[in-house]
Amino acid sequence: MSMQSLNQLVARSITDPGIVQAFRAGRIGNVLDELGFTPDLRAQLAGIECDSWAEFAVMSYRQVRAAEAQAPRLQFPSPLEGLLPADSQADQEQVA
Amino acid sequence: MIQITREERHWFLDNVARALVEHSGAAEPPVPIEAILDHPPEAFHEDFGVVDMYSNLWDATFARPPGQRGSIFVRVDLPATARRHALARETLSAMITSKHGRDLGLPDLLMSELKESASYFASILLAPEAFVDAYRAQGGSEALFAESFVLPLEVAESRW
Repeated sequence: MSMQSLNQLVARSITDPGIVQAFRAGRIGNVLDELGFTPDLRAQLAGIECDSWAEFAVMSYRQVRAAEAQAPRLQFPSPLEGLLPADSQADQEQVA
Repeated sequence: MIQITREERHWFLDNVARALVEHSGAAEPPVPIEAILDHPPEAFHEDFGVVDMYSNLWDATFARPPGQRGSIFVRVDLPATARRHALARETLSAMITSKHGRDLGLPDLLMSELKESASYFASILLAPEAFVDAYRAQGGSEALFAESFVLPLEVAESRW
């Protein structure tokens, strides 16, 4: 969703000069509020400082990719830990 | 100016192309490149002219005479597929050198790799990923891909 939102923002900036005007005026946070970024990512993107809109777009792409790369590790348990709860694993070790 | 990778540059160009396709309202191939140039987004009204010319030197080139509208000068005798690709390729130069393109920061991002960027941009503008995916999903064949999208064969091969 975040990359989709960023794609939508960058594509819109090509035909809508209002986006780059908002960026130059330091109001890009207002534009980001209209899109589907998480609060954390929205704060990260709003804090990017760049000389141009195109640079901002690329820096945002890096941030969104990094955030999306981290997301699966937060959602799934490590294969090393297995799917059993910790106390259940301890019980099995004691049996063995 | 930050250093960017080829993949990042292509991602950016994907979105530039997507903006033009969405503006055109096209929902299926072929992408109407001549209509995009005839009726550009407001921000590019002074940049998207097309002038047919007799030339043996090049297929198309963008130029912006001082104080005048920018135009793509294109050979009048090109086959349809070559003409569409040449127009799409030169559209990127028109955008980069436009006022809005400079406001966006396009020259710093794209000028150093202009030739490769323009070639990639043309292929993605004429065969957007969404259109290619839909064509495949509907059982479209590789044999008719170039014809359906009105692409030069080498571009069709790179996009299939």
